[in-house]
Amino acid sequence: MSYLVGIDIGGTFTDCAIVDRAGKLLTTKVPSTPQDFARGMMDALDAGAQALGIPLERFCRDIKFLSHGTTVGTNTIIQKKGAKVGLITTRGHEDAIHIMRGSRGYNGRNIRKVVHFPETSKPAPIVPKRLIRGVSERVDCFGEVIVKLNETEAEAAIRDLVAQGVDAIAICFLWSFRNPVHEQRVKQMVQSFSRDVFVTCSVDIAPKWGEYERVTATALNAYLGPVMAGYLHKLDSSLKNLGYRHGLQMTQCGGGTVPVARAGEAPLLTLDSGPVSGVTASSFLGAAMGEKNVITTDMGGTSFDVSIIHGGKPAYSFVSNTDQYEYFLPKVDLQAIGAGGGSLVRVNPQARTMTVGPDSAGAFPGPVCYGRGGTVPTVTDAQLVLGYLDPDNFAGGRMKLNKKDAEKSIEGLAKLLGMKTVECAAGICRIVELQMADVIRKVTVEKGFDPREFVLFAFGGAGPAHAGVFARELGVRKVVIPQRKAASTWCAFGAAAADVLHIFEHTEIMPTPVPASRINSILNSLETNARSVMASEGIAAGRQRFEFSLDVRHKGQINEVEVLLESPRLTSDYELRLRKRFVERYEQLYGRGSALAGAQLEIVVCRLRARALTPRPKLVHARKSSRTIPAKAVLKKRQIYWPDLRKHVTTPVFDGDKLVIGNQIQGPAIVETSDTTVVVHPRTTLRLDALGNFEINFSNRDRPYFSHLSIGRR
Amino acid sequence: MNAPLKKLSELSGLAFDGRRSGYVPPKHLEISPSLKLHRKWKTTIDPVTFEVVRHALWNVNEEHGATIQRLSGSPVAMYALDLNPSILTEDAEFVYFGPYMQYMSGVTDTQVKWTLENRSSNPGIRDGDMFLANDPWVGAAHQMDVMLLCPVFWKGELFCWVTNCLHQYDIGGITPGSFCPSARDAFDEGILIPPVKIVEGNEIRRDIEEIYLRSSRKPSAVALDFRAQLAGNMTAKQRVLHLMEKYSPEVVKGVMKKILTDGEAAFLKKLSLLPDGVWRDRTYVECCRPGDRQVHRVMLTLKKIENRLIFENEGTAPQAGGINATYSGWRGAIMVALNELMCWEQYYAVGGALRHVEFNPTPGTLNCADFPASVSTAPVQCMEISLYPAYNVLSKMLYPDPGLRRDAMCIGGTSQWPATIFRGIDQWGERYGYILVDPIGGAIGAFSHADGISTGGQARTPICKLPNVEHTEQSFPVLFLYRKEICDSGGAGKWRGGLSAESCFIPHGTDRITHDTLSSGNAIPTSTGMMGGYPGAVNRYRFLRESNVLEMMKQSRLVNDIDELQGTSETLQLRQQDFAQDPTDVYAVLWSAAGGFGDPLERDPAKVAADVDNGDVSEKAALEIYGVVLGDERGTGRRRAEVRARRIHDRSAPPKKLEGKALLLATENLAIYKNMRYGCAKCGADLGSIRENYKTSCIRNDLPIEASNPIVGDPKRFIDPTPQFRQFCCPGCGLAIENEVAVADDPPLRDVEILSK
Repeated sequence: MSYLVGIDIGGTFTDCAIVDRAGKLLTTKVPSTPQDFARGMMDALDAGAQALGIPLERFCRDIKFLSHGTTVGTNTIIQKKGAKVGLITTRGHEDAIHIMRGSRGYNGRNIRKVVHFPETSKPAPIVPKRLIRGVSERVDCFGEVIVKLNETEAEAAIRDLVAQGVDAIAICFLWSFRNPVHEQRVKQMVQSFSRDVFVTCSVDIAPKWGEYERVTATALNAYLGPVMAGYLHKLDSSLKNLGYRHGLQMTQCGGGTVPVARAGEAPLLTLDSGPVSGVTASSFLGAAMGEKNVITTDMGGTSFDVSIIHGGKPAYSFVSNTDQYEYFLPKVDLQAIGAGGGSLVRVNPQARTMTVGPDSAGAFPGPVCYGRGGTVPTVTDAQLVLGYLDPDNFAGGRMKLNKKDAEKSIEGLAKLLGMKTVECAAGICRIVELQMADVIRKVTVEKGFDPREFVLFAFGGAGPAHAGVFARELGVRKVVIPQRKAASTWCAFGAAAADVLHIFEHTEIMPTPVPASRINSILNSLETNARSVMASEGIAAGRQRFEFSLDVRHKGQINEVEVLLESPRLTSDYELRLRKRFVERYEQLYGRGSALAGAQLEIVVCRLRARALTPRPKLVHARKSSRTIPAKAVLKKRQIYWPDLRKHVTTPVFDGDKLVIGNQIQGPAIVETSDTTVVVHPRTTLRLDALGNFEINFSNRDRPYFSHLSIGRR
Repeated sequence: MNAPLKKLSELSGLAFDGRRSGYVPPKHLEISPSLKLHRKWKTTIDPVTFEVVRHALWNVNEEHGATIQRLSGSPVAMYALDLNPSILTEDAEFVYFGPYMQYMSGVTDTQVKWTLENRSSNPGIRDGDMFLANDPWVGAAHQMDVMLLCPVFWKGELFCWVTNCLHQYDIGGITPGSFCPSARDAFDEGILIPPVKIVEGNEIRRDIEEIYLRSSRKPSAVALDFRAQLAGNMTAKQRVLHLMEKYSPEVVKGVMKKILTDGEAAFLKKLSLLPDGVWRDRTYVECCRPGDRQVHRVMLTLKKIENRLIFENEGTAPQAGGINATYSGWRGAIMVALNELMCWEQYYAVGGALRHVEFNPTPGTLNCADFPASVSTAPVQCMEISLYPAYNVLSKMLYPDPGLRRDAMCIGGTSQWPATIFRGIDQWGERYGYILVDPIGGAIGAFSHADGISTGGQARTPICKLPNVEHTEQSFPVLFLYRKEICDSGGAGKWRGGLSAESCFIPHGTDRITHDTLSSGNAIPTSTGMMGGYPGAVNRYRFLRESNVLEMMKQSRLVNDIDELQGTSETLQLRQQDFAQDPTDVYAVLWSAAGGFGDPLERDPAKVAADVDNGDVSEKAALEIYGVVLGDERGTGRRRAEVRARRIHDRSAPPKKLEGKALLLATENLAIYKNMRYGCAKCGADLGSIRENYKTSCIRNDLPIEASNPIVGDPKRFIDPTPQFRQFCCPGCGLAIENEVAVADDPPLRDVEILSK
């Protein structure tokens, strides 16, 4: 037997998805071990071997592809536990990383904090000023060296930083993406000076235009480097000892995997790779279902994450932010808002207003009903009060909830507002659902996508309770709660389904007309580079797949649009077609009539996504289906308050893990699984499809809350 | 001619109709009866519907701003975020106003009110119309800030307004870019457009659009931006209409009114916590036209009487040269501070607060200039100088309440803008013209409980970003030798002001760059500190001719400061025109930094040591200003005692001490004790009756202006009058109760006047 294995380490649980040759899926879940995350991974494999009934060594020997996603990087940044980093940069520009472009890192932050200056300080620096060294060297915007690297200064800087006890050195010079020779030379000098210091150059991690976002990417990479290298080394050698014979693959935020060696050099790529794996899994499942357009949503305890898959491809972003640091990173785009099960509800009795989130009770103290000392009601408390959740059977019975306390706390708010308790609870859900609808609107309608052409995937413990409502608001076609068994280990499944992916970029601002030969020679060098990297990873030429794209914009404007190339090289008459595709994509994003016909364009980035196809899990469609609901799937009915009906109804409850393919349930109803609770609202129907997904359809589609806007041509 | 200027409340018969003097809307708007206003709304809306619709309205406004940014794509919209969208009620009260350029808030509602009064009968305001406007006497910061006003109708009734404002590249005038530092008056500046119907029945009026574009040197950029503004309004309008369809117009309007009344209630709650009083601030603008060596006083008075605030600019110098702002610019400037310090928790929904705020301008002054004064540079000169004092007076008003005290904020960096305007042929062989936008990197002033934020942006735009050096070098023929935060630039204080930065460049890829300067605040610091805090650095131009920079570069030696180079240093004047920068000429521009809070002698020595370690404060300043002997606790104690003793060396006898507990803290250092007497908040020394200026009871030390901040240099390079740094110290303990930056002839300012409690 041979297996594909995906392992995802989250803050709380380490998930493992094992797929055998027949496509059979087995999942395990073990607690994460934050002291030493590598141990949790071994525990997960051990649990997998036990579930398969084979010894761990044999299991490891039989694994054909093992890919792994980890939160180690993200945790390191949030807990500020990274390495002591020294930075070498162009003399005179030492402060770029501190000046932060004169902003305070507001992207992705709650706007209330941004507009209130006392709450809007800059984040603690990744590299303090005293560990930054400027070195004389200069490249200009044409890529020409106008000041030769002063090696004496560089050497002094290296000696000095090492003497200060840095664990890592980041190197970022101005315009290095146009000419990396100085960065590479200093890297060599560091390496020959000390083998113990982790060293990283900006061109190796983010060869992009804009020194602040580039130096931040470089410094963060260095900050993570030593921590990640230790972790990966430990993992890799343990696996080898256990007999795993293929290279360990790490999931990365671009939506694929990279070999462990690359992840060691570029640990920045692993940030957010867990949730991104969920998107990978979704596009894989979408393809199996014949759905090319998918909105993926994941509602956990603290946040609600959304991504878009259009035409089978996930949407990308090229600038990211973590903890107010903004940096270049090509990444599957995930938008998050602070709306989760733990989002706190607050009331202003004088104004008679109620708000939900964005701050969260987290796991500790958590919602009132967790009984861990939380006193402020949360969305989870509201779900419990309405009856959506079973206090005795929450999270597969792993946890008991205190309904009385939840009720009491919400009753307190309701009194202040002059409402009934259930109305208040329903209102809390309503507010959070509309917030979710709004963020989905931002990534669809505001980016030129019509939600009516999408299906919506709902993940996360808290999501399937609300998806039926916000999906209806948006007018999406249907809601899918993916595969019962896989759902709880979805990111691990995504890791198993991922291809190897390397992204190579060349940044050079080229106003049109640009001869095709110039671009082609850039594409050639990207491809040569990709082939040699992949060959060194033992990927045969036959498994390599290349996808080329260009980032294009109107000259003098800021908005860049990625245009995928139809063929690997340009022909001499390419410009008209490129322009046409640019205008199409631009107008899709920014509105009909928004592109300036005939305006001069600029090509800014040439990009190659190089993939290596890896073995894929198979999703097997069930042949048998039955409308008869098995008796063992029928649980005790519950009194549930339905906001749409404005009353309590004795509602049927089902054990979702015991339903069979083809079963259909008319709302109102509740379907409980070991990981989540699906709320089947009135006027919706739930069906178990041939792949084992829950599918919610709307019996009569409302007129959507948002209609799609088009701007007339002048 | 020299008769004293009178303020609005003292004038009668003068029309504030937006033609000669700035438009001041009357309490009751005169609107043609043919225009029906939608005036029905629900007063009882359940909290859930309220929150859902409120959130949606905020998002409508946010999407409006995002749409403009996406469609415009211009660096002005994307980096400087020099734009702002808003939603107003049918009668032009603010519902929401975006978090972008805050100046634009004060000018938005006046534009709409003027349009209601002057356009409702002819040509009429109907469904499908939009109005274009940029007349600063009606309401605009300066001519380049072009507004597009869109009425939203429901069944024939005017329901609300969605509007936006976006800074344009060029709309005419004698200088490319329409910033006209040498303008004699408004006739030398960009086109003036009182609200004009540019969209009628959902069709663009081609004739009007062509008039608009015809005056621009960059008509295609202006056309693209117009389209962005149009799309922004259409997006917002459609979404508001959807909300009405879904929740009913009465509910949506009810939510709008409740946002206003909630904002009003929150504002009144704050006012109820504060004593009545009068707070004043005084500052100066330098060089109103090329060759001018005078300074021009700007005064701001805030009166709080029960639940009303009244702002006045009485005492401000007469309008002059090319630095002026109109009434709406002055009001807009004050509203920035009002939004940020008092309406932040309402997401800047200032409409409710404005019901209790009065503006009582004196026309004919620098910041309430009459037509046809030159106003194109207003946002970087007279609006800036009107805004920053508003942070001071509002912060001082808030200080007595321990909760509201935490919202107090000192004046931030770039409190006057050191403009570097240049042009020539770029490295791509094309003509260009540019204003270096680096000063938007600003700095944020100290808080009453924390340090300010170094290079944290300009406070008047909560979100903005300066371009990367690589962005500027790609587009313009320059090479940056450095861009760095400047040691000691942040105003000293118990809490230090944020540091500002300096950009230094040489020409690259061109033979010559032609420059103009346009600045103020180079002689006299404009980011004054508060409650004993010191000012931040002044603006500073440094120019070195025929330097050895290229030889150094050949030897692989770069510099960290212009002083490390050899050459001939030249003092640039504040409105110096058409001077050349050749390839070996080095140009460095420092923008002003942020003010400090509280007496620097009270700063935690460990924080001073950390600042020195980080290069934010020099050892010299640590010793001289902060009184800290590094690594020597006892030495620090001795040093600080010495400084305090020196400050009150001139006192005749020890002061009387007041008994009992302070009833109220008027400022960090000034308390009110029983019998309505001021006393030192730290030692209780008697500082006189609250009916007098407490400063007369303090020991006054007049220091040269250079003592206020290590970056401040000899003022005689730029101005004739002599500015002073005045310290008013407690005669009991030598604490700096308050500092003052003033020209020698001006009397001490009565900055705090508590009236009751």
